[in-house]
Amino acid sequence: MDVTLLDRQQATYPLELCASSVPLFQSYLGSGPIVELKRPEAYLSGDGFHEFVYFPVGGGPEFGDSEKLNLVPPDAAPGYCISRTSSCQMTAFHAAAMKEEREDMILEKMESTPGSGSRESFTKRKAEVVAERKSKDKRIKGELEGESEVKTKCSTQVSRNSSKENSKACEVQKPDYIHVRARRGQATDSHSLAERARREKISKKMKCLQDLVPGCNTVTGKAGMLDEIINYVQSLQRQVEFLSMKIAALNSSAEFNVENLPIKELPSYVANFPAAAKLPAMPNLTCFQLNSMQKEAVNCMLNETMHPPLTATEGIASASVSIPEQALSSSTITLQPFSTWNMDPQGLYNLYNMGFH
Amino acid sequence: MNNPHHLNPTSLKSRFTTRFLRALTKIRAQKPISSSSPTEIFRRYRRIKVAADKSMAYSVRSRRIWSKAMLWKLRSRSYRRQDPCSGRRSGKTNQAIMKKSSNENTTTRREDGVGFVEEADELRQLVPGGETMNLCNLLDETAHYIKCLTTQVQVMKKIADFYSF
Repeated sequence: MDVTLLDRQQATYPLELCASSVPLFQSYLGSGPIVELKRPEAYLSGDGFHEFVYFPVGGGPEFGDSEKLNLVPPDAAPGYCISRTSSCQMTAFHAAAMKEEREDMILEKMESTPGSGSRESFTKRKAEVVAERKSKDKRIKGELEGESEVKTKCSTQVSRNSSKENSKACEVQKPDYIHVRARRGQATDSHSLAERARREKISKKMKCLQDLVPGCNTVTGKAGMLDEIINYVQSLQRQVEFLSMKIAALNSSAEFNVENLPIKELPSYVANFPAAAKLPAMPNLTCFQLNSMQKEAVNCMLNETMHPPLTATEGIASASVSIPEQALSSSTITLQPFSTWNMDPQGLYNLYNMGFH
Repeated sequence: MNNPHHLNPTSLKSRFTTRFLRALTKIRAQKPISSSSPTEIFRRYRRIKVAADKSMAYSVRSRRIWSKAMLWKLRSRSYRRQDPCSGRRSGKTNQAIMKKSSNENTTTRREDGVGFVEEADELRQLVPGGETMNLCNLLDETAHYIKCLTTQVQVMKKIADFYSF
C-alpha cells in the first residue's frame, strides 16, 4: 500500500518542496513505520539501498519517516530538497543516479547559502554528505553485484552499514575539508581518493589561472595551458625589464623636478593620467626617437634579455652584436601604445612577442 | 579636486607605487643626470629593475612564498656586494633553510601523477622560489605572481608615460 502511494508521489511530487509542505508530507506518511532517528552524525539506511536521512544540526522538526522515504532539510536553505527512493521499484542504478543528482543539488544549495550562520556546522555537514556519499557509493557498488541477495539481507545490512557509516562519519568530522567523491566504478581506497582530490584541486586552480591569462580560452589541455602561462609570465617579466629600461633612458634625457611632486599624491595623479593621455600621439613619437647612444643601451638590454650576461661590462661588449633594425622599430612601436590607459593586455602581449622573437 | 579614481591607500597598487617612486627619487638623487652614456643608462636600468622588484616584494611582504624568496635573493645579493665573506656565510645558512623547506615539500614534488613535469619545472624557474613548491602551491603562487606583475607593469607604464611628457 505504502509502496504504491510512494510511487504516485515520486511520479508527481517535485523534488524541491517548500518548508510549508513538509508537514503535509509528514502527515501523509504518518502511517509508515516510524524509524528511530539518530542525531546528525548517522544516517539511516532503510533497506540497504540508497537512503539516508539528514537532520539539521541546529535541531529541526523531527519527521516521522518510513523506511522508504528520505528527507533532507538543509540548515538555512529556503526550501527543502527531498530525495526518495523506493527499494522495490527502482533499480539500483537509477536510484544511484537520482541520489547523485540530489546530492549535487544539496551541495549546491549548501554552497549557495551565503554567509551561513555557523561555518563549522556547514562544513561538517558537507563532510558528512561527502562521507555518506562515499560509503554509500561503496555500498552501491557492492550491491549492484548482488542485487537479489541484498533484498533478502536487508535487515542485517542495515545494522552493519549504519555502524560503518557512523564510524566513517565520526572519522571525517575531525578534518572538515575533505571534498572527495568516490564515483561509481572507481577505486575507493584512500590513496586514489586523495590523489583524485589533489587532481581536482589542481584543475580548479588551472581554471583560475585561465581567467588570469588572456588568450587561454583557445588552448585546451593542461600542458598547453601551462605553456601559455609560462609564456605570459615571461612576457610580463620582459615588460618590466623593458619599462625599467625606458624609465632609465627617459630619466637621463628628460629634466624635471621630482621633489616638487608630492609622493603621496602621485599615485592618484598617475591614476588620473588618462585625461592627459588623450593628447595627440605625435609628442609620444618625438620623445621616443632615441638618440644613438640610447639605442645602444636598448641594444644592451635586448641582448641581456635574450642572453643574460654576468656583468654589465659583458653586456656592453655584446652590444657590438648588431640587432636588426626591425627589433628596434618594433620596440618603438610598442612604446607608442603605452600611453593608453586601458591597454588591452592581450594586444600588448602580442606586441611583445613580436618584438622579442 | 575631482578624483574619480578613488585609490585604496592599502591596495597593492598604491603600496607598490609609493615604494617604487621613492626608490626612483633615490636613484635620481644618487647619480647626476647629465651622463647618458650607454653604460650609465644600463647601470641605471639595472638599479631601477632591482628597485621595481624590491618594491613589489616589499609590498607583498612575506605573505607569499615567491615574495619571501625574492626578498631573500635581493638581500643576499646586496650582502654579497657589500662584503663577500659575510655573503658566503649568510648564503650557506640561507641555503640550509631553503633545503630544509624543500625537503618538506619535495616529497610530493616529482611524483605529481599528473604528467606535465617539464612545464612545471619551467614554471618553477620563472616564479621566484618555485623550486621548493609542489604543483598545487606552484599554481597558487603563479596566480598571485601574475597579478603582482600586471600591477607592476601598469604602474611602470604610467610612470614612463608621465616622464615622457
